Amino acid sequence: MTSVPGTPIIQTFGLSKRYRKTTAVDEISFRVEPGQVFGFLGPNGAGKTTTIGLLLGIITPTGGRFELFGGGSASDLHAARRRIGATLETPNFYPYLSGRDNLRIVANVKRRDAAEIERVLDLVGLGRRAKHKFKAYSLGMKQRLALAATMLGDPELIILDEPANGLDPEGMREIREIIRGLGERGKTIFLSSHLLSEVERTCTHVAIIQNGRIIRQDSVADVTSHGVAGLRSADLEALAAAVGEYPAALWSDRRGDRVVAELDDGDLAALNAWLGARGIHLSHMALEARSLEDVFMEATGAAEGVSAEVGPGDAGSGSHQLGEVR
Amino acid sequence: MWAAFRSEMRKMWKRPATWVTLGLFGLITVADLFGEYRRARKDPDDPFFLPDAWSLILGEEVMVGFIFASVLVILLVAAEFSWRTARQNVIDGLSKTQWYWAKVLLVPLLSALFLALRAAIGGSFALAGTDLAAGAQWFGAAQLAALGGMFVTGLGFASLALFVAVAIRASGPAMAVWFAWFAFGERLVVGGLGALFEGWRPILKWAPIMTFNRLRDYIQYDSEAFRMAAERAVEQERPVPELEALGPAFAGSFLWIAALLVFGWLWYRKRDL
Repeated sequence: MTSVPGTPIIQTFGLSKRYRKTTAVDEISFRVEPGQVFGFLGPNGAGKTTTIGLLLGIITPTGGRFELFGGGSASDLHAARRRIGATLETPNFYPYLSGRDNLRIVANVKRRDAAEIERVLDLVGLGRRAKHKFKAYSLGMKQRLALAATMLGDPELIILDEPANGLDPEGMREIREIIRGLGERGKTIFLSSHLLSEVERTCTHVAIIQNGRIIRQDSVADVTSHGVAGLRSADLEALAAAVGEYPAALWSDRRGDRVVAELDDGDLAALNAWLGARGIHLSHMALEARSLEDVFMEATGAAEGVSAEVGPGDAGSGSHQLGEVR
Repeated sequence: MWAAFRSEMRKMWKRPATWVTLGLFGLITVADLFGEYRRARKDPDDPFFLPDAWSLILGEEVMVGFIFASVLVILLVAAEFSWRTARQNVIDGLSKTQWYWAKVLLVPLLSALFLALRAAIGGSFALAGTDLAAGAQWFGAAQLAALGGMFVTGLGFASLALFVAVAIRASGPAMAVWFAWFAFGERLVVGGLGALFEGWRPILKWAPIMTFNRLRDYIQYDSEAFRMAAERAVEQERPVPELEALGPAFAGSFLWIAALLVFGWLWYRKRDL
């Protein structure tokens, strides 16, 4: 099976996975185009890993369907998976085997030449520790071995589930560099994470998933370039109420001594005129830049209690980690 | 499938549990059969030589090898679920079919390996006491048939182990369930059902362990050994052994083996990894 130019690498159509009482993935539809570094962002338990499991064929969907490289039949998907390098959750290897022997197993499964093993080991900086047993590896080394395994066979699509999990800032930086390098080589990367800044720094596109549903998807540039209007006036109550009624306001929120709103058309002058006509005169009006964290918070809704916090290993990197839904 | 089986071989070869199990079984077998060898050296009236010694070499203790083989099957299969390598193998490109049937190939391999190890160790000791120069036939059709029957018994126990490993997906609990079924579970179930439903008794005799065990009585394959066992029984006023029809036992065992492997496959395929 070869890819037809313009065919999405991944496309899902109302894909769902329901367990007895729980809906882990709820009719999600998204597409990943060739060459994208696609971030799949969501808090723990949002359905990221289940979605990846569905794509990789280790979890059976209960609804919807998906295509990999344009094919959706069982044989297409099996063939497509040979073009994918992926890890799910923690790095999964044989603890009693060395890093190199573990990669021999992977190379054998992928029907790749054993000579490739040294190349990927060097690529992730594990060449000198390759003879040590996997169980003796640090978490960072395990993550790097998992990355090496995904790169065996030079796959067109690389799927990584929380690749920076448990890493210190230095380890996260290394993994980020490797992923960026892969992206620059034109690989399509599907990366799940709950680390907001990691996704912002690494990905070209993002989908935000919460409670099994995709609530926002776009390019990272588009998502963050849509500034929000920051507004102040003497009567904040009246300002908040008026902005709430403004037809072009996608949403608005009162934050401290100001009201913020995302405008459909981005036209601040029109908003100013509209407020002036209602007797509300602004003392401050500015377009404020947004981080992915802002977008995430807005999309998931602060009312649902999703907090953004600095993770324990992230102090130096400024990475923000999504907390559990409280 | 061949690639998957090659991976299995590499994993098995490098797994310390393989060598610990084989080593332990080897030691137990050497201790058991070296005892026979030494006793025979001390007592010329009770020699240990081939082909007569096969009744001891392939006697009750063959079961120890099947227990070790089954334990190793459980360790090699169930651990893949704990380590999540079963899942990773599929992610890396093996189909579920390839993964499962590569594991199935371990069943005959390990059954044959442990049986062959016992036969080789016992055969070596007994060969030392055999007068080959006198033209003794140290291995014949009877022994081949016995090895074949016992191999099928081993397949049965190891298939049950594979089924339990795939169903339970954790080595410790899987071993506990396998041992429990082997040691007393089947007898309890058969006894209970037999007491409740008298008409079921003829069918209950064909429960898996009972069926497999029908094939591991050496004297059923060797007429000379059977004659000697019958004479001993008369001398000692014990019930005289009976010759059984092995055909139904073979058929029953193969049916159980096929059922266990197919049910294991269906169970494995149905569940998410």
